[in-house]
Amino acid sequence: MPDVVEVPTLKELNVEEVNVSSAVLKASAHHYGSQCDKANKEFMLCRWEEKDPRKCLKEGMKVNECALNFFRQIKGNCAETFTEYWTCLDYSNLAELRHCRKQQKAFDNCVLEKLGWERPELGDLSKVTKVATSRPLPENPYLSRPRPEPNTPIQAELQPSKHGSRLFFWNW
Amino acid sequence: MIPKRSVEVFAVLSFFPRLHFENKGADLATAGGAGEQCRSALSAAEEDTSGAALDGAMAASKVKQDMPPTGGYGPVDYRRNLPRRGLSGYSMFGVGVGLLVFGYWRLFRWNRERRRLHIEELEARVALLPLLQAEHDRRTLRMLRENLEEEAVIMRDVPDWKVGESVFHTDRWVSPLTEELFNLRPREEMLRKKFGFLWYV
Repeated sequence: MPDVVEVPTLKELNVEEVNVSSAVLKASAHHYGSQCDKANKEFMLCRWEEKDPRKCLKEGMKVNECALNFFRQIKGNCAETFTEYWTCLDYSNLAELRHCRKQQKAFDNCVLEKLGWERPELGDLSKVTKVATSRPLPENPYLSRPRPEPNTPIQAELQPSKHGSRLFFWNW
Repeated sequence: MIPKRSVEVFAVLSFFPRLHFENKGADLATAGGAGEQCRSALSAAEEDTSGAALDGAMAASKVKQDMPPTGGYGPVDYRRNLPRRGLSGYSMFGVGVGLLVFGYWRLFRWNRERRRLHIEELEARVALLPLLQAEHDRRTLRMLRENLEEEAVIMRDVPDWKVGESVFHTDRWVSPLTEELFNLRPREEMLRKKFGFLWYV
């Protein structure tokens, strides 16, 4: 029976957004990936297990809070080096990281001194991680119909077929 | 009788056929041929008349002419010069192969470096995905909510209309289409959402 689609109200969706442009995000991506790792991974796990965005709004809010804290910390401590880095990235058309190595080094050193954050090595962010959640694993997230029964095991004695194989031309 | 000196002059002048004198109307070719014979005859005969011959020929040699240098020209190197130099065929082949191998080595190193750079850029995207996904989800749900409220307003007088009714038989979440989301908005917004990221056609 088709039912009404439940959509959350605007009040629930009202979350403080990260008001920042793409170059800034890309500049801070590696450090963001290593610092806000927990909240990010929980949100992605929820999203991919439940397959429903309405069920993961809380985790999404946590992701936003973590991101905002992250940017506040950067702004508080390493604002100038970070500004130089992301303006350098913004200058090139594709925002290629390899054109801005000098500013990246300056920013990394500043962040390491003041906040103790280390830039993750190549390949660290693409590693598969295990996430510990209190949310139970959903069963049947696709809400599919009950699967059919498997075939019963063969009861009778099997005989070789009469007249051979019947597969196209062969008769053995 | 032709004086010896003028004969010598004629003999030399036979090699420069363009030059000729107005007073001497003789044919230079014949004079040259005759002069050689006469010269060989005369040189055997006498050499005293050379002084008298000079007096007669002086009138001719007063004209400034482009003559060969005294003592004649130096030796002319006419032999063929095809020196055997350069690398042999095998070594040239080896040099070519060596250059190729060096080029490949450089290329493979740079390709590995490019792979590392590409992985770095992909990792930046991986790190940002949760943020972008959360924002996108919120935006979708917000648009669905606004559409629902507008639908309630528009269809309030239609009998037997369930607002927000699902068009599917299932209860699970179905991602809404772009057309469904941007239904009540101007067409430009839908086109921008669909094609705004295109770099080429």
